Amino acid sequence: MSAIQTAFGLVFQPAVLVTIFLAALFGLVVGAIPGLTATMAIALLVPVTFFMDPVPAVGAMVTCSAMAIFAGDIPGTLLRIPGTPASAAYTDEAYMMTRNGEGEIALGANLLFSAIGGLFGTFVLILSAPALAEVALQFSSFEYFWMALLGLTCAVFIGTGTPVKGLVSLFIGLFVSTIGLNNPAGVPRFTFGNAELTGGVNFIAAMIGLFAVSEVFRFAISHSVQTVPQAVIGNLFRGWGRMMVQYWPQQLRGNVLGTIIGALPGAGADIAAWVSYAVSKKMSRTPEKFGKGHVEGIIESTSSNNAALAGAWVPALVFGIPGDSITAIVIGVLYLKNMNPGPTIFLNNPEYIYAVFIIFILANLVMLPLGWAAIKGARTILRIPREILMPCILMFCIVGAFAINNSAFGVAVMLVFGVLGFLMEENDIPVAPCILGIVLGPMLEENFVTSMIKSDGSYLAFFERPISGALGVATLLIWLAPVLLMALRSRKTAMPRQG
Amino acid sequence: MRINDAIIGAVLLAFAIAMFAYARTLPAIPGQEYGAAVFPVLVAMGLAGCGVVLIASGFRHWEGAVAWSDWAQTHHAWVRLVVIFALILAYIVAAPALGFVPTSIAILLVFLLMMGVRWWIAAAVAVAATVLIQQTFVGLLRVPLPLGLLGP
Repeated sequence: MSAIQTAFGLVFQPAVLVTIFLAALFGLVVGAIPGLTATMAIALLVPVTFFMDPVPAVGAMVTCSAMAIFAGDIPGTLLRIPGTPASAAYTDEAYMMTRNGEGEIALGANLLFSAIGGLFGTFVLILSAPALAEVALQFSSFEYFWMALLGLTCAVFIGTGTPVKGLVSLFIGLFVSTIGLNNPAGVPRFTFGNAELTGGVNFIAAMIGLFAVSEVFRFAISHSVQTVPQAVIGNLFRGWGRMMVQYWPQQLRGNVLGTIIGALPGAGADIAAWVSYAVSKKMSRTPEKFGKGHVEGIIESTSSNNAALAGAWVPALVFGIPGDSITAIVIGVLYLKNMNPGPTIFLNNPEYIYAVFIIFILANLVMLPLGWAAIKGARTILRIPREILMPCILMFCIVGAFAINNSAFGVAVMLVFGVLGFLMEENDIPVAPCILGIVLGPMLEENFVTSMIKSDGSYLAFFERPISGALGVATLLIWLAPVLLMALRSRKTAMPRQG
Repeated sequence: MRINDAIIGAVLLAFAIAMFAYARTLPAIPGQEYGAAVFPVLVAMGLAGCGVVLIASGFRHWEGAVAWSDWAQTHHAWVRLVVIFALILAYIVAAPALGFVPTSIAILLVFLLMMGVRWWIAAAVAVAATVLIQQTFVGLLRVPLPLGLLGP
């Protein structure tokens, strides 16, 4: 009981609440602006949270990401430009509703069901995390090795269109993680005598480069005309009761599926929204209405992407395995704050865990009034000229990368990764596996080397313990599935080609 | 700017070979089979495998070494990319000597003017953003941004 009281004490402090409030506003604005993603919002926030205590730092990141995922729906509905990739699944549908004069119903549904989805995911997190942590306490290096590999595998095979390009991104990330002194043997690797490199490539600087600077580069080459929507004047709360009653199965299904996909290591809110939209269409009694401005699919997928956000925290807190690129960043920050995620944090610092739970609930509750304000102010937010915003973002990135170690080396790392991220995206190589590789690389290596030493070089030992064996088989199945599918497909397509 | 997969694959393969060669030189822990070299060697092998697959698929769909997208055909876009790159480099080189405030104002001004923002708006934004960032990081977060010319 006292841990919960301590947690309330940690959260309900003026400084923490103000931080959360500011992070919420920041997330809403960044999420609502097309071209600035939720991940970028977090990337820009990290240098600031770097200097805070753990609880406000985590609170800011939780709130910011929840708001950004919701706010991505606003330009999607009003302009047909998704504010974040997680809204892309139902952008066309929501925009059709706007064209049919039902924009406020679509936005109202987005707001309400985003908040409910987030709360649902949070309750699953609260219920399942401590129980899973009990299990995780018995994990050895074998299980952790498989967990890390499973997370990376899912990121590559589920989260990307072409697995090979996802793998390239992952291996780049893993390579980056090997740079420096931080390895089981304590040998400097790939440093070439550079003193700055012995500390390794700074993860925050790399992330700012990959997610924010690359976006600035991309902005510089695009010449899209900025369109400003009509103000939303209708009553946002219209139809809330009816939608809750009429579409409760859809909503529940979206919540459950979103939480599960989020909890799956490597797959996050984007994928949850796509899957849920597809499921909704498939299970609907009126699938012909989809794509013509029908609220059903929106409800299911908007619930799903916010539920996924909380679901992604389950593996992140319990095992230290990120569920998506946002939690990958969060895990990196938790390590810096000496709040190492994993089952032991539930034993040693339960008040931090409870504080995270409280913040999650708070963030989803505060979403309703703030989200309402953001929708009403959408016209103003979307009017902010991009050509003024982007230079300021670049400057913020530079200072953020500098601030971590107070050295220009961070800025250089950021620049390298900015160019790398830009080139990767131009060639359809996803960046998310790369950041997961950087975060999970050390964990993967340490557990692999420890396991190999323990088992005296026998690979069979990786399958001897029950949980480790199951995880190993699951991982290998995901690896083999595309090969089998490819073999099947090539047999099917081989015949017409010959003719 | 889509570079053909075969070229990306070749670059990755070359990189993987270099990485492999370097990793082999890492010292072993005496009496221990699994040292610092194991993991980089595995990563290099994975990267090399991806390289080979990309080379194969790239040759199957060969449409020239690079397929230039719309933006890459205008020199406008290239100039912007190079300028932004140079601006970040400029910060690394100039900030320690000049200090954060003048460097930041200059970088913002160049970027804003390049994007076609009117000069007086650009000047106002450059100064305002610099002051805001300076106040946040130095005042609130106590980051010692370089003082440069403004220093003692």
